Amino acid sequence: MTGGPGGPGARRGARAPYLFVAPAVLLFVAFLAVPIGYAVYLSARGLRLTGGGVFGTREEVFVGLDNYVKTLTDPEFFAGFGRLALYGLISVPLTLGLALLFALLIDHAGSRARRFSRTAIFLPYAVPGVTASLLWGFMYLPSTSPFSYLTRELGLGEIPFLGAGGIYPSVANVAVWGGVGFNMIIIFTSLRGIPAELSDAARIDGASEWRIAWHVKIPLVTPALVLTGLFALIGTLQVYGEPTTLRPMTPEISQVWVPLMQIYRDAFLRDDLPLASAASVILAAGTLLVSVVLLKVTQRRASGGMG
Amino acid sequence: MRIIAALGMVALLAACSSGTTDGAGTPAADAGPVTLQYWCWGQPTKDKVEAFNKAHPDIRVQHTDTGGGTDTAAKLLTASRAGNAPDVACVEYQTLPAMIVAGALADISAHTADVKDAFSPEVWSLTSFDGAVYGIPQDVGPMVLVYNRARFGELGIEPPATWEDFAKTAAEVRKKDPGAYLATFAPAEFGNFAGLAQQAGASWWTVRDTTWTVGIADPASLEVAAYWQNLIDEDLVKAEPLLTPEWNNQLNKGKILSWPSALWGPSVLYGIAEKQAGDWAIAPLPQWTPGDERVAFQGGTALTVTKNSKHAQAAATFAKWMNTDKAAYDIQIAKGEYPASLAGQRATGESEPPPLVAGQKDYWQVATKAAQSTIPHLSWGPNVSTAQSAFQDAMSAAVRDKTPLAEALKKTQQAVVDDMKSTGFKVAGP
Repeated sequence: MTGGPGGPGARRGARAPYLFVAPAVLLFVAFLAVPIGYAVYLSARGLRLTGGGVFGTREEVFVGLDNYVKTLTDPEFFAGFGRLALYGLISVPLTLGLALLFALLIDHAGSRARRFSRTAIFLPYAVPGVTASLLWGFMYLPSTSPFSYLTRELGLGEIPFLGAGGIYPSVANVAVWGGVGFNMIIIFTSLRGIPAELSDAARIDGASEWRIAWHVKIPLVTPALVLTGLFALIGTLQVYGEPTTLRPMTPEISQVWVPLMQIYRDAFLRDDLPLASAASVILAAGTLLVSVVLLKVTQRRASGGMG
Repeated sequence: MRIIAALGMVALLAACSSGTTDGAGTPAADAGPVTLQYWCWGQPTKDKVEAFNKAHPDIRVQHTDTGGGTDTAAKLLTASRAGNAPDVACVEYQTLPAMIVAGALADISAHTADVKDAFSPEVWSLTSFDGAVYGIPQDVGPMVLVYNRARFGELGIEPPATWEDFAKTAAEVRKKDPGAYLATFAPAEFGNFAGLAQQAGASWWTVRDTTWTVGIADPASLEVAAYWQNLIDEDLVKAEPLLTPEWNNQLNKGKILSWPSALWGPSVLYGIAEKQAGDWAIAPLPQWTPGDERVAFQGGTALTVTKNSKHAQAAATFAKWMNTDKAAYDIQIAKGEYPASLAGQRATGESEPPPLVAGQKDYWQVATKAAQSTIPHLSWGPNVSTAQSAFQDAMSAAVRDKTPLAEALKKTQQAVVDDMKSTGFKVAGP
């Protein structure tokens, strides 16, 4: 980036990189660093009662690590992560598995109506999460569900989509339905990048399509799989819209079903922004940690597998 | 999503209100009309604001529908902390103490001497505490039994006068039409349960010399919990959330026959079951003791002036007009809302009943009777939203896991007391 040693352009060139990164740095500072810093600052504050007014007034004071202690000793907060894990165990493998399967099928030379299938599978991604949740919500509720209608007509009773057993698959299904298409496109794009000679060579060697997929294509799209896996994991930690939209329809989903819902409740219903900030900081740090670990582990595996 | 919407709203209103304060800062601008930001929800609001603007050339009110009591309260708190709350906002009576403690509302007692007598003392006490006035009451919700009179007739049953009869009627309904239920026990209906408990003699929050007593799990409340527990255990009521697509569908099919709620009930049901207009009616809420008449308030709102407002006088003028002027309460009554002011309540006598209950000739008489039998003032606490969310989660879990409702109440009580103590309130008892 810097100009050649000596030369009159050297000093001018030294300033150029800073100018080029300035807009990005400014945006980063204004919209990421400052808000994060403010959240960290808020997390050390607390609203405590002082005199004044008929009942006293809650004023913001410094409380140190009180909010962190309160969050980390709250069993409900960790129960939220437990529910998140259950949800993730269903949604992440299904999303990635289906996305990979569809990508391979569409990539397969013999498949028909590829463009149509690709669009059809991608389309749900264009439906906003809240709309998707409402749509599926109607399909889950006994008296509006077409599935429960069929089973009822067959004398099998209603399917408890929103009951104790069905709630995790039901919520995960909304995310899977919306997420498969997007992930499929990423994997499919990666598949397109594989030189045709590799598959051709394997085919000439007598490999079946199944073996080509398993031993040639999948290892080569591993980076795409890691990327989509990371997105899916972060997406899981940030689940909020689907359960919040489904909540009024079932007692199974409490107001603190997942950590973000608890953060929303504390911030906006309980008017305790500092406590919510502390929980947010913990959630963000956890997300970062999990992402780094996942990347490290998969990088080792991916390179090990290739070598 | 909701966070984004709320933030968007806050940002938008921040932009609007900063515009108005700029204008008011210069002395010359005082001559021009004052612009007030107003947050409220509810059917009559839009028409009432238009009527006010027409009658007041010197004050311009810009109304934003901020969607329901809980949402509006959340937005108001956030905006208030950011210093750009609207001038006037609707606040539910139960949320008022929390708003006062949050420092969001202005004491407008200096402007209210001329309207104090326009309200009954019970109603006025909903918004005034120790001489400070934090709002002008808009509508009140004395509790009544809203029931599907057509279906009651088909099954040959009468609206029950006591809760004991209510349980018997519930059993009768199950026998005569196994697909139908007399009523719903909705675990998320905090205000409804509070009202029923208060009718039984409960007192959820009391304050004496800055020391609070919390009675969410007091004997009367536990008794009410035991009553509904029994109905749920015997499958005599439907235990599920209200106003969901599922519930609405059942109601439209005539499978839910009544809703112990309040005078705003018919207009809510009309929104989801328009086809049943004329089929429904209201009756006095069943009583715990035969011959008793008392009922609690459920819901209802007041117009409050915020501390952020730069136009307290104009805001108070607006709040007063909206709740005492004939033009305003006529609109309210036409939309089925029961006015808080005495004149408004008297005016209901000459009005048509709301569409859902169009067939009931004595609708307003029953309504007035309920309004006159309300228990003076349930004292709400400073952390009702905490209580509400704790109650909803505990009750829903109890209904789901078939664990005792009484335990859920005790859990709520503990959560409320812990929260108050950690905020610094003096609370009596453990």
